[in-house]
Amino acid sequence: MYGALDISTGGMIAQRARLDAIAANIVNKDTFLDGAGKNNPFKRRVVHFAPGDPAATSPRAGDLGVHVARVEEVDSYTLKWEPNNPYADANGYVKYPDINPVFEQLNAYEAQRAYEANLAVAEATKAMTSQALRLIA
Amino acid sequence: MMLEGISNDGAMPVLEAMIRFAGARQRLIAHNVANIDTPEFRPLDVSPREFQKALAAAVERRRSGGRVGDLQIEGGGNAPFEQTPDGQILLNPKPEPGNLLFHDRNNRDVERLMQANAENVTVFRVASDLLRSRTELMRSAIAERA
Repeated sequence: MYGALDISTGGMIAQRARLDAIAANIVNKDTFLDGAGKNNPFKRRVVHFAPGDPAATSPRAGDLGVHVARVEEVDSYTLKWEPNNPYADANGYVKYPDINPVFEQLNAYEAQRAYEANLAVAEATKAMTSQALRLIA
Repeated sequence: MMLEGISNDGAMPVLEAMIRFAGARQRLIAHNVANIDTPEFRPLDVSPREFQKALAAAVERRRSGGRVGDLQIEGGGNAPFEQTPDGQILLNPKPEPGNLLFHDRNNRDVERLMQANAENVTVFRVASDLLRSRTELMRSAIAERA
């Protein structure tokens, strides 16, 4: 049982990281300028998971659990014809982020549900721990 | 010797084994839920039914030996669990077969996971409640109270 709480916490952390990336994608769906003021659209972030949790504090939880293996920046964009936009190229096109808010919303729902599932297991583990403590109370 | 007889007698070692098994299995359940969105992931689990069978066989062996002494749980050569000399239950789970594969090749089945979680908590709760009542009975006997 020791380590189960660590595993569920790792699962919640991973899902929260995924939700952070989704929030960044949604909020930047129209960001077509970079920090230097050039037409360099925001790249969509995708969080990739892998089994095992190197950050687990319990030695038994390290091989189990989940962690964020990498955050991919998807190098794609869409072109919009805006000839009056000062950032338009010679043909009148402006590069915009390739982000579909509906798709991001669906991913957010999935991350939320997965977070809740981890939370349910964490609650169950907590109940088991307090049950075990009652043995010596 | 007398103390060993008290803590090792009757149903207590069986309840202890059930608690240890449920505790170890909870780690696997948490692992499976944590990886619910991990591509290529296959859930790991150990059949509680198989463990209960091995436990029943161990109880039978112990009963024929006079109901006292350590409970030797043997799962066989390929068993997904083993008992260490200090009584701990180690699980050697195998990836679960079956189920429909999703596009990310994850073998997720959230309903079964939640069922396993609920069942495991129940088993743990029942075993620890029974162990607690046994312990309280023992305590009362030691204190010469009814």
